Amino acid sequence: MATTTQDSSIDATQAALLAKVQPAELHEQPLVTNDRDFNWVTDKICRIVETKTPTWWWICMAVALMTASFTGLGLLWLVSSGVGVWGLANPINWGWAIVNFVFWIGIGHAGTLISAVLCLLKQGWRTSINRAAEAMTIFAVVCAGIFPLFHVGRVWFAWWLFPIPNSNAIWPQFRSPLEWDVFAVSTYGTVSVLFWYMGMIPDLGVLRDRAVQRLNKGAYEGAGALAKGMDVFRKNFYAIFAMGWRNAGNHWRNYEMAYLVLAGISTPLVLSVHTIVSFDFALAVLPGWHTTIFPPYFVAGAIFSGFGMVLTLMLPLRALYGLHDLITQRHIDNMCKICLGTGSIVGYAYIMEFFIAWYGANPYESFAFINRAFGQYWWAYIMMFSCNVFTPQLFWFKKVRANTALVWIMSIFINVGMWFERFVITVTSLANDFLPSSWGYYSPTMVDILTFFGTFGLFSVLFLLFLRFLPLMPIAEVKFVMPQADPHGHHGHENGDHH
Amino acid sequence: MKNSEFSGPRYWKSLDDLAETPAFKDWVEREFPAGASEMEGVNRRHFMKVMAASFGLAGLGMAGCRRPEQTILAYSKAPESVIPGVPVYYTTSQPGVRDNVPVIVETHAGRPTKVEGNPSYKPYGGATSVYTQASILDLYDPDRATKSSISETAVRDRLAAINKAHAAEGGDRGQGLVFLAEPSTSPSRAKLVAQIKETFPAATWAEYTAIDQSTSERAAKAVFGKTLRSIPDFSKAKRVLALDADFLLNADASIGLARDFVKTRKVKDSKDATKMSRLYSVESSLTSTGSMADHRLRLSSSQMGAFIAQIAAALGVSLPAAAKTAAASLDVDAKWVKECAADLAANKGHAIVVAGEHLSKSVHAIVIAINEALSAPINYLEVADAEAGIADAVARLNEGDVKTLVILGGNPVYNAPVDLDWAAAQAKADESIYFGTEKNETAQAAKLVIAASHYLESWGDGRTFDGTLVPVQPMIEPLFPTFNELEVLARLAAAQTTDAYSIVDATFKEQGGSDFNKFLSDGLLEGSAYKASETASGDYAAAIDASELEAPELSASQLEVRFAASSHSGDGRYANNGWMMECPDPMTKLTWDNAIMISPRLAKELEEEQGIQIFPSKKPMNQDSEFFKGAKGTLQNNKAEFKRGKEQGVVAELSINGRIVKGPIHVVPGMANYTVLLPLGMGREVVGRVGQGVGFNAYSVRESNGLGIASSAVLQLTSEHYNLANTQEHWSMEGRAIIREGNADYYKKHPDFANKMGVESHAPANYGKDDDKTLQEKSVNNYRGNSAYEHPSFADPAPNVKVWKGEEARAKFPDVQQWGMAIDLNSCTGCTACVVACQSENNIPIVGKDQVLRGREMHWMRIDRYFSSEKYDQTEVPEDVQVSFMGMMCQHCENAPCEQVCPVNATVHDNQGLNTMAYNRCVGTRYCANNCPYKVRRFNFFDWNKRQIGEFYKGPLGPVDEPEIGKLQKNPNVTVRMRGVMEKCTYCTQRIEAAKIDQKRIAGATGNIKVIDGAIKTACQQVCPTDAITFGDISDAESEVSKMKASDRNYSVLGYLNARPRTTYLARLRNPNPEMPDAYKKPYAYAEYKERYGSQSSGDDHGAAHEAPGHDDHSSNHEAAPAAH
Repeated sequence: MATTTQDSSIDATQAALLAKVQPAELHEQPLVTNDRDFNWVTDKICRIVETKTPTWWWICMAVALMTASFTGLGLLWLVSSGVGVWGLANPINWGWAIVNFVFWIGIGHAGTLISAVLCLLKQGWRTSINRAAEAMTIFAVVCAGIFPLFHVGRVWFAWWLFPIPNSNAIWPQFRSPLEWDVFAVSTYGTVSVLFWYMGMIPDLGVLRDRAVQRLNKGAYEGAGALAKGMDVFRKNFYAIFAMGWRNAGNHWRNYEMAYLVLAGISTPLVLSVHTIVSFDFALAVLPGWHTTIFPPYFVAGAIFSGFGMVLTLMLPLRALYGLHDLITQRHIDNMCKICLGTGSIVGYAYIMEFFIAWYGANPYESFAFINRAFGQYWWAYIMMFSCNVFTPQLFWFKKVRANTALVWIMSIFINVGMWFERFVITVTSLANDFLPSSWGYYSPTMVDILTFFGTFGLFSVLFLLFLRFLPLMPIAEVKFVMPQADPHGHHGHENGDHH
Repeated sequence: MKNSEFSGPRYWKSLDDLAETPAFKDWVEREFPAGASEMEGVNRRHFMKVMAASFGLAGLGMAGCRRPEQTILAYSKAPESVIPGVPVYYTTSQPGVRDNVPVIVETHAGRPTKVEGNPSYKPYGGATSVYTQASILDLYDPDRATKSSISETAVRDRLAAINKAHAAEGGDRGQGLVFLAEPSTSPSRAKLVAQIKETFPAATWAEYTAIDQSTSERAAKAVFGKTLRSIPDFSKAKRVLALDADFLLNADASIGLARDFVKTRKVKDSKDATKMSRLYSVESSLTSTGSMADHRLRLSSSQMGAFIAQIAAALGVSLPAAAKTAAASLDVDAKWVKECAADLAANKGHAIVVAGEHLSKSVHAIVIAINEALSAPINYLEVADAEAGIADAVARLNEGDVKTLVILGGNPVYNAPVDLDWAAAQAKADESIYFGTEKNETAQAAKLVIAASHYLESWGDGRTFDGTLVPVQPMIEPLFPTFNELEVLARLAAAQTTDAYSIVDATFKEQGGSDFNKFLSDGLLEGSAYKASETASGDYAAAIDASELEAPELSASQLEVRFAASSHSGDGRYANNGWMMECPDPMTKLTWDNAIMISPRLAKELEEEQGIQIFPSKKPMNQDSEFFKGAKGTLQNNKAEFKRGKEQGVVAELSINGRIVKGPIHVVPGMANYTVLLPLGMGREVVGRVGQGVGFNAYSVRESNGLGIASSAVLQLTSEHYNLANTQEHWSMEGRAIIREGNADYYKKHPDFANKMGVESHAPANYGKDDDKTLQEKSVNNYRGNSAYEHPSFADPAPNVKVWKGEEARAKFPDVQQWGMAIDLNSCTGCTACVVACQSENNIPIVGKDQVLRGREMHWMRIDRYFSSEKYDQTEVPEDVQVSFMGMMCQHCENAPCEQVCPVNATVHDNQGLNTMAYNRCVGTRYCANNCPYKVRRFNFFDWNKRQIGEFYKGPLGPVDEPEIGKLQKNPNVTVRMRGVMEKCTYCTQRIEAAKIDQKRIAGATGNIKVIDGAIKTACQQVCPTDAITFGDISDAESEVSKMKASDRNYSVLGYLNARPRTTYLARLRNPNPEMPDAYKKPYAYAEYKERYGSQSSGDDHGAAHEAPGHDDHSSNHEAAPAAH
């Protein structure tokens, strides 16, 4: 009795107090808009996979496959004749291959950052984009891996880079940053796949269960045998990969714990991979490479380009699948802001390089940097600087961020700029180093260009398959961040979560 | 078919054939009279017996004959002198038109693989020219004349028939017989020629070679009445004036001349710096000699006569009045002439004037007079008079009714003076017979071709330039059914002996030789040189034709053309030699092409006049802005237009007397303003695969009255461009302290100037607290400077080998020798012989023009050539430059940046301090090449060795057949690299190992396994005429290399990187005359460094400047020498 009175009196006081102070409403945009319910979310996400394959998918797939074949043919030619089919030569022994490698690895950064770092930082907005971003990461790593693998002169011996005790009884050379790359990238790839797959298990269970339900209902008269056959396939396919997921409480408990652990493991990898990739350059003696600023600068650049790519991919998907309620303006705003932040770090690094080159008073260094900006590759430097430093500055403006088409175009600029950044670093430093007698000029061949171009096809093929067969968003996690998911939330408010 | 198992690939003459040929029977008979009787009815058992036994004597008489394929028939008895895997060396000589180069040839299992100079011939000291190095490739050229157009027996019958038809007895006395031969030094040939003249008294015997080098001899004849060959003794010279003479590189016997000259430039320490000789060079094109010059004056070749007359006048040499008038026709800096002459006069007895052989007889007559007046140390040798020239042969042919024309070597259809129209004359003979090693233009036009053997397959003899008798002995049985020149001549003359060996042997005896085997083993006959002649005072006035001295007016529309041998193909004879084609020109660094070389001034005038751009339009990046001036750098490839790293030569038409030749233009600083240099010998039409489509043929505008110099030429630019494969796009050192140069007197005052340059001069010492340790201690102990880490010393045994551990074991493994190299930049003339020597030694492939254009040449060693000028504002190509050369190859860094980045341990250090490459382990990431500061690593982008040029991109669809014959040249001690692996200089590790094995054998039980100093010579060092390269054990303070490195001129290129290269350089010195109008207080390269970096950042002169205040600043405070035009 006493307690209830007390309770109600508190409520009453509180209400009175609230009425008196009139707390300002938090105008944080909800992460799922239009007051959708849980069922809508499940249905929305699952139906992407379950409905008939849309025509645009087939068209895109055909184009992507064709494009991917360029890479295939390019590599075939490369392996059968020699690395000479590329534009490499002395002194520029690394050209587009390494540029592309760093470029793709950089893109691969956003996924893990979103899933792991933002998870640990409890950023709810990550949920509707993390799955696709992780998929992007893995596919980007696949594309990235092609280049260092195939750029070696004798690709059939590339396995010597792995520390496999073999009959030669020779270990790899552990002082080489290229060797560190092997470990960094393969670890990163492995953990990313694990993380991605682990996160997908509950959703795969959902897809399996929905197929089983439809099969049990047996209502296929109108749809015909194909639809039934697809459901049989789904039942088995998802069953295998759901690994017996039953939505049980202990499953969820284990899942949450495992997810957290993987997030913890992945977080340092976000920093380490691109740091180590930057060591390929920073540990060399070449002016323009031999720079301690590279690790943070590369990581920032990677996140920058990764978010650029996420924007490039998610904005069209949002339009195609009508995901506006799940990928909201708030998501876009956040991503733009990250681009702004990391883009500014990159810009700072560009300027700091110049300062150090001057301050270091080493003629070779100062020449390398002046040459970068004003030498024979000035156009690449302009591309890099304008795309990477000026473009993101527009994201200061809300109006720009709200203009989806503009954001999409700028996200592409970011990636073009970041590709050029790698080109500038790799090629200009090599082309004009210590001895003027050896200076040269690099230009790519058609094989270089098509092989790189083809990796976009490969990436698209993989991404389209992902869209078609796997859940685009983590269903449960999206639900966590919905207003309904907060048992303590104020149901009166439209804008669900304010914690 | 009998003995069918003997037949090998087609280029091998089957043994069956061989055994039944008369030549073989002759040969066997000679060596084995007893065995020969058994040769009737060959059977396998007998055959092998004879063969095996013959090979047993291979080392004595028939040197290193090829033996049957060993895979099929192993030796049943090991031949005595052959140890499998150990090369056998034989002496021989490379026949030249006027001199034979004495050489030693390395043979492996009967295959000659490498040519080296014969050190027994002292004037050359074991050095050779680049051509001699490359000549071995011609032996294995699959495109050479591999067989005569009729069978061997038919050839012999034909030669006998010619003799019968034309012989004095019973024939037409040689009435219808014309010979055109290449000159030769062979006394055996001379004997046969005499015999031929006797047999065919009415025949015409003419000799022709495209590049005549005998003007000075003819001038001597005019002066003294006898043909005298002058050999200057540069080792005694203190002052040299070179008059358009590239005596260091492109003259007869230039190896010896360069060797002697550079001896006077070797500077041990600052004390004898000013004892250096001084070289004045007056020249029209930029040559190796000009690059070595202390004072260089640009002057057109046709103005040399007036110039030398002025010098003569200044020296007080009496000249005819007309000559004095002619001298006045040239407007040249009088002070230059006066001071130069004064310097020569002041060094009477030690001053030499040399003139180029393309200059007129009158010029040479004046030069002889001047040298007499200066008592120049010149030896005059009596040589034979020249034979009739090609003009006589043409005249005879044009008379008609020539029945037989015999062309012995050469290629007159291609290179005869164009006004003689040799091809038409040749066609007038009823039958033309061409005897030569090549399938060339002349061979194609001939009715009968007799294939000649390569000199490495032939018996013969010859003379060096000074007349020393040298043998030509075969290293291998002729690979193809080819003939020896002596045999052909002997058969024509119907001589008693037709076998070359016997002829040579007989000649040797006649020349006063007694021990033929010793002759072969020494490779020369001591004391057989030409007789020296006392030069009584000659009749100079009669020999001087004043009209030849008159200096013509030259301008952009009145150009002078200078014809010179191409640095790639000589006069055209090396046109199918891939090594030569890909060997960069010493000055222009062009490969696979010749170009019309013009001066920057002419280029500018042509640009203005004809509106076609020759120079790049881009402005240097720091031209207009003060801010970027601080950038201290420019990037323009500022000599020629480069598009994507490819030099775009503007194609121009050069017309002389209505004849036009078309070729790309290449601007060369340092050329006389209105002189155009046309390299001869390229643009061959009938040539093997290598020479196809290479360059343009400058012979097509060369007439008999202008063989060296032609006048009244006009250049018309076209809008076409042509890609030139240039291996060095950028010619400025950008003020970087890469090649360090100083003046002799500056060096005397500042002995440490070389080490006061560069970033390292103001950075903490790399060795930190151990900086004062000796080179020997440093070489072994691997001091880490300020590093916190301990490192094992270089000579330590590998830590993971248990048996090497412990004191006792250590005693068994004494410290390993530490290899290092020193390169004296003061001695390098840039001749590039080392580049080809390295290629030959190390199985370095050629890649073809297309791949060179892409920057993929494979040379392990390159010669970097930089230009520097007095005032260079980076917007214009300077007209006057100083040239600096630097041989650059793997520096074998102790802290090698390449080793640290290789992910698979393919490039590692060994305990002798070598940076080694394990080709088998290399996967080809190319990271090492990127991280190499010297850019000396080379990558196999394609299967250069398996695929042919032009087929690289076809992958498995292209043919994989490297001509089998090419493999015979390969050095079996060096891996032939496959595609996808990195390669680089190894310090000739195979030679080091061979010497170590040898030393172990010598040491026996004594345990003294240290290779003695000098026992190892790297290929580049061995060939170097000027001994610029020294290699040896740097852990031994007494070794030659340690002594070199102890010089205060010794420095490491890019030393500040702390890579600690084992190859170091000795700074270059120049010795200008302070009285000269173009004297400079610092070499231009040094002045440029001081201007760019010296004063601001490095403050390198701290110590020195205080000692001699104001001495070394403001380097360029004098007037530039006005270039005459």
